[in-house]
Amino acid sequence: MDYQAMLAWALPMGVGLAAVGSGLGLGRAVGSAMEAIGRQPEASGKIQTAMIIGAALIEALTIYALVVFFILSGKIGS
Amino acid sequence: MKSSFDLSFLDRTLRTTAIVFLIMLPFGIYYFGVFPTLAAYSGGIWGMINLIFISALVRSAIRPDGADKNRAIVLSLIKFPLLYSSGYFLLTVEKFSAIHLLIGFSATMVVLVLKAAGRLMLHLDEKEVEQGKLGKVH
Repeated sequence: MDYQAMLAWALPMGVGLAAVGSGLGLGRAVGSAMEAIGRQPEASGKIQTAMIIGAALIEALTIYALVVFFILSGKIGS
Repeated sequence: MKSSFDLSFLDRTLRTTAIVFLIMLPFGIYYFGVFPTLAAYSGGIWGMINLIFISALVRSAIRPDGADKNRAIVLSLIKFPLLYSSGYFLLTVEKFSAIHLLIGFSATMVVLVLKAAGRLMLHLDEKEVEQGKLGKVH
């Protein structure tokens, strides 16, 4: 398997793995936040803020993977 | 000065990011040129809008008194197709480098992490608990 074929195989796999990882992470974050708000509704503002920061950072990592995909996909077949 | 870790923290983060961008504008144009700076700014503005939408989506969907479903659906319909397609459009602009877009996009995250780390290092949350700002803790 040459470099181009490996790249063409690895890029979508990498983005897929990043998406799965971020999906699992977001699922855990939202689940835990719901549980914490249910236990302590008066602290919902702080919990929401922490959750939004976590969600933004998780999403940013997936976007990084997608941008790396776009950068490297130009090298396939060149 | 109000500085608690509630939902206004995100508004303050966005404001700080906008100020950082404004300060960096002349330096960016002088040292890196117009298009790299424009790309970084586009990425930064996209990241800020993305954070606003994440925040609004979480505020409407995850609440103690039940989710505002209509608002959450409208926000999802705007964020996922429109915002992401605009991001794709930015990536396809020939004069914009993906790296510069990423640098701008990361600026919001950097400000967010630094502000949160600053709160942690200065023990601001613990001081708030001591001052009783959080109310009764069960």
